[in-house]
Amino acid sequence: MNYDWDFGAVWEHRDMLLTGAFGTLRIAAVAIIIGVVIGVLLAMMRMSGKAWLSRPALWFTEFYRNTPPLVHFFWAFYGLPVLLGISLDPYAAAIIALSTQSGAFYAEVIRGGVVSIERGQWEGARAIGMGPVQVIWRIVLPQAMQRMLPPFLERSFELIKTTALASTLAYSDLMYMAMQVNSITFRPLEVYTLVAVIFFLTLLSMSLMAHLLEVRLSRSTHQHAG
Amino acid sequence: MDFSWDFTAVIQNYPALLKGVGMTALIWSIAFPAAMVMGFAISLGARSRFGWLKALTRVYVEVFRNTPVLIQLIWFFYAFPILTGYQLTPIVAALCGLVLNASAYCSEIFRGGLAAIPNGQWEGAKAIGMGHSQALRRIIVPQVIAKMLPAFTNRGIELAKNTSIASVIAVQELMYQGRALSSAFYRPLEVLTAVAVIYFVLIYPGSYWASRFEKRFALRT
Repeated sequence: MNYDWDFGAVWEHRDMLLTGAFGTLRIAAVAIIIGVVIGVLLAMMRMSGKAWLSRPALWFTEFYRNTPPLVHFFWAFYGLPVLLGISLDPYAAAIIALSTQSGAFYAEVIRGGVVSIERGQWEGARAIGMGPVQVIWRIVLPQAMQRMLPPFLERSFELIKTTALASTLAYSDLMYMAMQVNSITFRPLEVYTLVAVIFFLTLLSMSLMAHLLEVRLSRSTHQHAG
Repeated sequence: MDFSWDFTAVIQNYPALLKGVGMTALIWSIAFPAAMVMGFAISLGARSRFGWLKALTRVYVEVFRNTPVLIQLIWFFYAFPILTGYQLTPIVAALCGLVLNASAYCSEIFRGGLAAIPNGQWEGAKAIGMGHSQALRRIIVPQVIAKMLPAFTNRGIELAKNTSIASVIAVQELMYQGRALSSAFYRPLEVLTAVAVIYFVLIYPGSYWASRFEKRFALRT
């Protein structure tokens, strides 16, 4: 256990790790945005009440929720191009894999939030003369949003962790760049520990902020109610 | 879209995929019980009177929940040997990462389950004349299990999905076999689709059961 830690060699290649960190941020941000769009579409299909729309959406979400993310990455990179007859670069494949799988989870978050609003809220809004669009926009969504926020954030943190799998497609995210730095410096202990610490501090501070936000939001509703 | 599916590579090599399924099942069935036992021990630490032990378990849980599983496996395979001078085999390294990761989540489930039973349940049981063991058996345990079972099932599902990451450090489980087959026969679409379907068949019954169970208990309470 008397190993001499030496971060000097790793520090020399900090620009590579910085490139990787930006790569991670980039796919995480893009995949969250596209994932939300896919999630909204799937949730609308699920709640449409038409079997030809809700069934495929159900199969899609169940399939993505019950298969490993790594399979999605490899399928999008090696399988999908064969099916479509086009070629995808690692970035596009990683975005496709991440956004479809997070879309499946976001769909459940959105549906759960809307379904959790009691019937009385709908009926009350209709009774005071609101149209269906107005009911959704002014009564249901503001309440559902608040219930969706904690699971939505939790899912997004999961997504950020999952981006590390993009390194297996040789996309230059933080993990992949760490592997490159390791192959130059032969310092796996320092490099991988450093990457773990970077992920840890980033995600921990994000979840602390999310927690503060949730506390604040629930306090403001209680004030309105009281 | 004029692609014609050809599953002969998959069908002819089913023993390789089957071997992969066996390895996946082996890793899961070692890692899940081990993670539960460790998780329970950690949850006891989190409830302990000693502040330093509480803080230590908190750090442990947060570290494993806030870093990607891939890094944990790679760390145990490539970094741990340098720290200790002891090289782990791919399977042991994968098990270390997967067990420690899942144990952090399991400890949170135990902690939440135990904390969720209000004292009034004990007092109420005593008030209607139940002894300690009767109250435990008929009042407390059924409620704790009902609260924790869906969460544990979900954790088992997440763990099953995470076993695929062990392929990155060359553990010859299902994902590894799939990758080897797809590059050997140039049929990535068929092989990877087959792998995805196999994972789905393995994992879906668990999540179907979990959602049924959750609904049943939701109706009862």
